[in-house]
Amino acid sequence: MIELRNVIKKFAGRLAVDDLSFTVPRGEIFGLLGHNGAGKSTAIGMMLGQVWPTSGEVKVCGHDVQSNRRAALMQVGAIFETPVFYDYLSGWRNLEILSTYTAPTTKARIREVIEWVGLTGREQSKVRTYSHGMRSRLALAQALLPKPELLILDEPSDGLDPEGIHEMRQTILRLQRELGLTILLSSHLLNEVEQLCTRIAVLQQGKKVFEGNVADVKATLGKVALKTSDFVSATKLLRGSGLIIATEQEKFITLAEGRSTAEITQALVSAGIAVDGIWQHEQTVEDFYLNLVKPPPTPQKN
Amino acid sequence: MFLAQLKNELWKLFGKKRTYIGFGAFLLAQTLMLLAFKYTRWQKDFERLLSGNGYLATEFISVLTVSLVMLIPQIMLLMPLYVALVGGDLVAKEAEDGTLRMILSRPISRLRLLFVKWVAGIIFAVVLVLMLGLTAMGFASLLFPWKGMFVFSPGLAFSVLPAHEGLVRFAFSHLFLAVNASVMVSVAFMFSCFNMKPSAATILALSFLFVSMVMENIPFFDRYENWFITHHFKCWLLIFRDPAPWSQICQSEIILFAVSATAFVVGAMAFQVRDIKS
Repeated sequence: MIELRNVIKKFAGRLAVDDLSFTVPRGEIFGLLGHNGAGKSTAIGMMLGQVWPTSGEVKVCGHDVQSNRRAALMQVGAIFETPVFYDYLSGWRNLEILSTYTAPTTKARIREVIEWVGLTGREQSKVRTYSHGMRSRLALAQALLPKPELLILDEPSDGLDPEGIHEMRQTILRLQRELGLTILLSSHLLNEVEQLCTRIAVLQQGKKVFEGNVADVKATLGKVALKTSDFVSATKLLRGSGLIIATEQEKFITLAEGRSTAEITQALVSAGIAVDGIWQHEQTVEDFYLNLVKPPPTPQKN
Repeated sequence: MFLAQLKNELWKLFGKKRTYIGFGAFLLAQTLMLLAFKYTRWQKDFERLLSGNGYLATEFISVLTVSLVMLIPQIMLLMPLYVALVGGDLVAKEAEDGTLRMILSRPISRLRLLFVKWVAGIIFAVVLVLMLGLTAMGFASLLFPWKGMFVFSPGLAFSVLPAHEGLVRFAFSHLFLAVNASVMVSVAFMFSCFNMKPSAATILALSFLFVSMVMENIPFFDRYENWFITHHFKCWLLIFRDPAPWSQICQSEIILFAVSATAFVVGAMAFQVRDIKS
């Protein structure tokens, strides 16, 4: 659904996106991570034909955005960080206005999306009377109007309270489940990305520094959490037996190649050390992200 | 689809309170001028001017004469200000508010979007001018009788017309005034298409007008008067001359149309290559 190939974007000589390539296949929820100014919004702008790439190719729904923007965006919906509307007009009128920029839309379709996002009863109120949560729902409604196949969400939970964030997360999952949409999600909320996305790309200073499955990010090969009455004695024994190769924070052990948690448990119980718990450790996307973007240690002066 | 987009653009434009600042200011200015004409020496001076040229003043201090007297300073001062205010908002305000980014996430082409906005701006200019003429006549009819029309604009027109012919020419002059207002909208719109604040677009459009006005009035530039839009803006008054200099009027109108079209093209080109960011 989305294909970026060797995309470069410079603003007045400053490199905002540097040789960015990735693809988002149909049906996937893809996360775009990165700090402020990493190039996420610029990349999204290029996908929507709002920002022109300096070089490279951007394809959306199989069409080149630069040369065939209309076809590329015909079935794309987008939501940006702070939902802005014509505050002095009603929610309904806003949807009517925005729908005419895509294709003729029936009143029944507008009513359908209003119902889907849960704004029924408030659609004739002026948008200035809406709460932030209601504006987010209206933003979602406008994105859903053209019956999109692809939804691009740029920081959709920005400014929402915890309840609003939870609601947005449930809505995104519902969108994929019920409507089968492909979703590109740019977010600062790593927890949100972890819960929603199947695959992520991490941008740092305009460059992609990682792209892969969330499941792979979470699974840390060989790292096991061990809860025992005497961690020091236990690890000394395990090292001596060649079952582990490292320990960490008196909590984690790294298994030697080919070893299993069952062997660890057996060795400790045989030595009379009680095992209160042993499980495969999963690192969070947050741990992974922070390790990835951590600045390299500065060389020490002699 | 174009009509639906235009209708919605007009909803956006006329749904905003600031769009009505111009209408409100005109109503206030007209009321004040009408009272000033009626109750100060202004009317006496006008009567003296008429009788000095051999006309019976009571026959020509009328609805049409007073309407035009009220119109001239408003057209020169207030009209450019308010149409530039709306023209400067057309694109820059949407970019500033962030709604432009939302619109441009849709498959509408930038050129089409600009064209719709430009047409909406021109409709606003026409409506403003028509309202200005109608309210001027409406207010004047409250205090003055329906009689012949006397037109006096130094260097441009000095005419005495029967009521019917005066009304026809008064209506015709609004066609040319609408063109003037459209040119101002187009110039402000052009600046609005660049990456700048709406107020900056309005100020630049007004600066363009004032520079033209100042230069036109410098004796050295007399021979270049055709290069200044303010010179052509005055052609609406030529319609009151007897006979009307049609070739001069047509020449000015063609130039004003060309200025308007050029402003649109320049604005569209700037907007086409612009990156729209949050």
